[in-house]
Amino acid sequence: MGIIKAKNVVHEFFRRDEEGNVEAITTALDNVNLDIQEGQFIAILGHNGSGKSTLAKHINALLVPGEGTLWVDGMATNEEENTIPVRKTAGMVFQNPDNQIIASVVEEDVGFGPENLGVPTEEIRKRVINSLQSVGMAEYKSHSPNRLSGGQKQRVAIAGVLAMEPKCIVFDEPTAMLDPGGRKEVIDAAHELNRQKGVTIILITHYMEEVTGADYVYVMEQGSIIMQGTPREIFSRVDELKEHRLNVPQVTLVADELRRAGILIPAGILTREELVEAVIDAYGQAEMSTGGELSDGINYSG
Amino acid sequence: MIRDMTLGQYYPVDSVIHKLDPRVKLSATFIYITALFLFRGLAGFALVTAVLFYVIHLSKIPFGYIVKGLKTVVTLLLITVVFNLLFTSTGTEYWHWGPFHLTSTGIINAVLMSVRLGYLVIGTSVMTLTTTPNALTDGLEKSLSCLNRIHVPVHELAMMMSVALRFIPILIEETDRIMKAQTARGADFEKGNIVRRAKNMIPVLVPLFVSAFRRADDLALAMESRCYTGGEGRTKMKPLKYGKNDRKAYLAVIVFFILVIVFRIML
Repeated sequence: MGIIKAKNVVHEFFRRDEEGNVEAITTALDNVNLDIQEGQFIAILGHNGSGKSTLAKHINALLVPGEGTLWVDGMATNEEENTIPVRKTAGMVFQNPDNQIIASVVEEDVGFGPENLGVPTEEIRKRVINSLQSVGMAEYKSHSPNRLSGGQKQRVAIAGVLAMEPKCIVFDEPTAMLDPGGRKEVIDAAHELNRQKGVTIILITHYMEEVTGADYVYVMEQGSIIMQGTPREIFSRVDELKEHRLNVPQVTLVADELRRAGILIPAGILTREELVEAVIDAYGQAEMSTGGELSDGINYSG
Repeated sequence: MIRDMTLGQYYPVDSVIHKLDPRVKLSATFIYITALFLFRGLAGFALVTAVLFYVIHLSKIPFGYIVKGLKTVVTLLLITVVFNLLFTSTGTEYWHWGPFHLTSTGIINAVLMSVRLGYLVIGTSVMTLTTTPNALTDGLEKSLSCLNRIHVPVHELAMMMSVALRFIPILIEETDRIMKAQTARGADFEKGNIVRRAKNMIPVLVPLFVSAFRRADDLALAMESRCYTGGEGRTKMKPLKYGKNDRKAYLAVIVFFILVIVFRIML
């Protein structure tokens, strides 16, 4: 069994009127099945209200399935005695950087998780320093979080989760409130953790560019998983993505348009470099200069 | 900048007093306040004055900076002085008109009360100026932990206090932002009388409260996701530990208190 496995998970939100009668039912998760292996970098894509944040909260046992079961490292989240071990195994980074930092000093915030777990003082200090180093924030350890930039605050939040030594970290739209620079900082840190420490990463986002580096992608809509596969597989289905009103990375879009115009370019182009190469291949060496200009003209931010 | 504002106006210099354990400072302040209401006679007065000035000297905080803190209580001081002067009817009478008297006891009381109040404010501000709000919360939690036995949620209260301290600058910034947004839409916060101005604050307070509740909700979720379950079974990253200076300070405080009592009885 993988580190995270969901079987027919259903979650419904009830809206009640003043007497407590159910007024409306929103199905946030509708028969979701997942199987995530340890050490993978997973991305979950979807619009607002697609159920992706609800799914994230299930992985952290902040919500439990109404029907079906979700296992984190073999522990079913709906059993109460598993709550704390599940949260220890699967940490979570939230969207708003300000609302998840608890202490007024960076290192004290990173120490908050281990303190809750009852880790001895000496060990906490070690973990705090190590975690801050892995996100490149060690020099800010005695700063106040109020003076950090958004990207730095999110990295502190990541360190806070990391200090609990989880096997898996769920990022719930960690970049939605950041500028492009901060977004890159956070996504790079996530990839770094995945590569260096083998932490399983589940990145929930609606930015297509952040998905391209993932091992596997799930696309959600209205509580269901509608597409899944490697980023290349997903992005070669441009028409289908457009149907679901999902933006395709600009590079992929350009490649797709070129292909439609009759140029021989393979489907599922993800990066600028790939596109440049494909264009060069299609046109031969003579057009190389055009390729160079093309690559500079494409903007990273969507 | 507004976000630089700190509560309790911690004055960051490196001094012996700054380095003391917050518990020492808390109990010393408590004892000093008690002593202020216990001392009697010139010797007692000289003692509390000498101790206060010596501590201020040790703390390396400029005297003028501390006196500035007295400004906020000037009105209170004046009212106390006037009442003591005019409404004390015992002792030798110098002057009287209707219900008002001016007596020797009144003058002494007025002086004593203003000294007491003034020293009280200075004494407590020395504590807040030399202790970070976080250390203070920690100290309170630790020194009140005995109340846990009678089911006072000490840890929870301390956690609430430190979270509040963390969010004060964020909420101030947010207020600033909302006020600017409302000003841009034609709101005026400066005109009109007090009632009018208070009414004008409503469009600021409502969104501020909504956002504060949303933040509280988010924070609770974040704390839960990091395995927070209350004070039980928690360890500390920076546990409070008494050092050599702390023991010395305790000793000094006890000697001081005994002296005050001795002076009161003997003289």
